Amino acid sequence: MLVYLKIYRYNPEAGRNVPSYDTYNIEAEPTDRVLDLLEEVKGHIDGTLSYRRSCAHGVCGSDAMRINGRNMLACKVLVKDVGSEITVEPILGLPVLKDMIVDMEPFFDSYKAVMPFLVNDDIPADGKERLQSPEQRERFDDTTKCIMCAACTTSCPVFWADDQYVGPAAVVAAHRFIFDSRDQAGDDRLKILSDHGGVFRCRTAFNCTEACPREIHVTQAIAEVKQAITS
Amino acid sequence: MTTQAKVKPSFEAIAWRAMRYSGILLIPLAWFHVYLQDVIVGVHAIDIDYVALRLDMVAWVVYDMALLAFAFAHGMYGLRQVSFEFIHGERARRNVSLLILGLWLVVSLIGAVALIGGARPELISH
Repeated sequence: MLVYLKIYRYNPEAGRNVPSYDTYNIEAEPTDRVLDLLEEVKGHIDGTLSYRRSCAHGVCGSDAMRINGRNMLACKVLVKDVGSEITVEPILGLPVLKDMIVDMEPFFDSYKAVMPFLVNDDIPADGKERLQSPEQRERFDDTTKCIMCAACTTSCPVFWADDQYVGPAAVVAAHRFIFDSRDQAGDDRLKILSDHGGVFRCRTAFNCTEACPREIHVTQAIAEVKQAITS
Repeated sequence: MTTQAKVKPSFEAIAWRAMRYSGILLIPLAWFHVYLQDVIVGVHAIDIDYVALRLDMVAWVVYDMALLAFAFAHGMYGLRQVSFEFIHGERARRNVSLLILGLWLVVSLIGAVALIGGARPELISH
């Protein structure tokens, strides 16, 4: 099938100071991924096209971009699922550096702000392991699946407008440890997230849940953190 | 598990919870208001005598005050959230929040005074 591909281009270093779109007609299979189309353009038509990609199998979370207006991983979405007219743009809410590459620092700053690591200074009972029941592990299982692609955070309309909001991904990262029975810093995280840039800025638009390529129930995780703070 | 311990509620947490509780209350308050005025009484039957009769009853005055205060609070809280998309400074946000809270208080008080004062049909020339 012939795919009409429209790609966002921005490269101030090469004089493309004003964002514009380049268009290509690419021959593709319906089972090709959008990433394959981008590889075709970069490899055979225009080597200056820039985007992040690493594993290309939906694990590393590098190639989150807006495909036909929705945040997706280019390596996970198939041509047959988005049609023969495809528009590829960078994710919203973060400064665009070049083409599909955005500055992820604000995203990682929010991530770091919620202490996304296990805090426990006690010596385990047996000196080796901190045991956990299957039920205790299940409590935060969903939020362990996050690959930090930023698809959720950059689909959030509150994050677009408010740079102080930590965003859904940071709440997911906090959720993963808040509800971990082995962790001891849940209260510190809840305190951070109860502040004015925390979970109460969420307006439950559900964009994050829809955008997550790992199918994490992001809005539910945010609601559970809200409940943990207010209960 | 650390989440068992109590976290001192922030203003955001208190406001969020207040919106949830008052939102639940608003559902019966607003729907019964609509049902009473539009279905049982009918908008064409509402006149100054009806309003005066209604506001003579303390229960209706309290009902209308609650409806006004809660509904207006939700509008003001929404306005506060929207304003935060345009105002990013911490001090400016606090000032806007106080302004909105003050506006809510003043309008709710004016409404309460009007409801308590009731209607006086004798002042209306038929």
